[in-house]
Amino acid sequence: MNIPDQPINQKIFKYTITFMIVLASVWSAAGLEITMDRILDAPRQIAFLIGAMFPLDMSQEAFERIIPKVFESLFIAWAGTVIGAVFSFPVSFLAAHNVAIGFVSRITKQILNAIRAFPELILAFVFLPITGLGPFTGTLAVGIHSIGTLGKLSSEVIEGIDEGPLEAIKSSGGSKINELTFGVIPQVMPTITSYWLYRFEINLRASAVLGVVGAGGVGQELINQLRFRDFPRAGTVLVCTIVLVLAADTISAAIRNRIIKGKIAKN
Amino acid sequence: MINIPQKPSVSYLVILGIPFAFIFSIFSFSRIGFNLQDFKNNLANRAIVTEPLFNPKWRWAWENTSEALLETVQIAILASIIGCAFALPLAFYASRATNLNKYSYFIYKSFLNLVRTIPDLFWAMLFTVAVGIGPFAGVLALIMFSLAIMGKLLSETIDSIDPGPMEAAKATGASHNQTVFTSALPQVLPNFTAYFLYIFELCIRASIILGLVGAGGVGRIIETQRIFLRFDRISPIIVIILVVVILIEQFSVWIRKKIL
Repeated sequence: MNIPDQPINQKIFKYTITFMIVLASVWSAAGLEITMDRILDAPRQIAFLIGAMFPLDMSQEAFERIIPKVFESLFIAWAGTVIGAVFSFPVSFLAAHNVAIGFVSRITKQILNAIRAFPELILAFVFLPITGLGPFTGTLAVGIHSIGTLGKLSSEVIEGIDEGPLEAIKSSGGSKINELTFGVIPQVMPTITSYWLYRFEINLRASAVLGVVGAGGVGQELINQLRFRDFPRAGTVLVCTIVLVLAADTISAAIRNRIIKGKIAKN
Repeated sequence: MINIPQKPSVSYLVILGIPFAFIFSIFSFSRIGFNLQDFKNNLANRAIVTEPLFNPKWRWAWENTSEALLETVQIAILASIIGCAFALPLAFYASRATNLNKYSYFIYKSFLNLVRTIPDLFWAMLFTVAVGIGPFAGVLALIMFSLAIMGKLLSETIDSIDPGPMEAAKATGASHNQTVFTSALPQVLPNFTAYFLYIFELCIRASIILGLVGAGGVGRIIETQRIFLRFDRISPIIVIILVVVILIEQFSVWIRKKIL
């Protein structure tokens, strides 16, 4: 059989890429002082930690401490998403180049990029001395980061709309405001709402972590239990977090599916 | 007389969902404990943060962070490569198109979902306890992080591949493994590369904060300065990090354009 050869430059490309990946990993591993015996020892150590967590601490007292913290994370995530949604919605119109004039959209986009560049945790500990220890700081950090990400996503949705309805409104004598309320918003609302829910899922994980710097939520509980070597209770914290995140993800994914695909595509 | 079609009836999702979301928002805000009076009092202390924040000590940051920054990049490189390498076979087992066994599909899928529910910093905390403080724990944490994301993205891509080539391979008498190797894998490889670069960017961002729990990288330096409220030292570090992150992202965008 006559199988055509792979072109020679493609072959060179393939081997160069492979070589570069291997080189990068070896360089990184060497720089981080990761030796073979540490790698071989790791599974045993991890198994020991997991073993120490079981049986989980199922006492009444543990749950009384952990459950409110887990729900605090949920509230931080939701409130942060609401802040992000409320502020990013008008901003995203300013950032979309087909709604706002050129330079306004460019400036707004750069501002959103700058907001997005700071991780929530860094925002959280910068706010901490001003807003105090507690969930409010976490909410503010999550909310501000969400403005950046949601603003970018929403403005991209607005830029991708069908111009037809706008023209129809214009030709029937509608004003610029009418174009926005009857032409743009009905088109983008389902996608933007599903992005809000998607952001809520991400924020839930972020808010769980925020406790590490004392900004409220379940992270504080986990790091404390691990520091005091109370592994069964740390295990309970982990399991509670996993259950909450799984439940929130499932509900949110179902609603997003319903919003985007409609009632018919249920099966 | 124009015949206007009837408006579709409003769905229950809207009737129940919007008030519920509204009430839940109010409830959430009340539970967060926002107190305007406290906020005003604390706002008077803002000089503690803002004054040093805008008086960055560039020289100090430059001398002390370069090494840790390199560590951050190395953690991200190693973790994203290993994580994605592990995720590649797992994704094929976690897709309905390539895994014919219903039960093993379910197990792999749930495993990936379970790994995904645990936030990156939680992994880092767990691994610092298990294998000790240092960048090794950070690498392990980010391996789990990239494994979960790549597993989800890639398995969903495999779910939606074109079944034609697989049928063709099967018709020539190929075994199931051969079918997957010759017709499913080449279809998703371009996506795999794109996802890999995306995950590498995420890992760079995630590895910055790993140091806050002792898992190596530049976060280690941020954490020590944070405790002493040395915002004059933190602000230049953050700026340097942002520059590095943006440069790496541009590099990754450039590679993506070259490859795809």
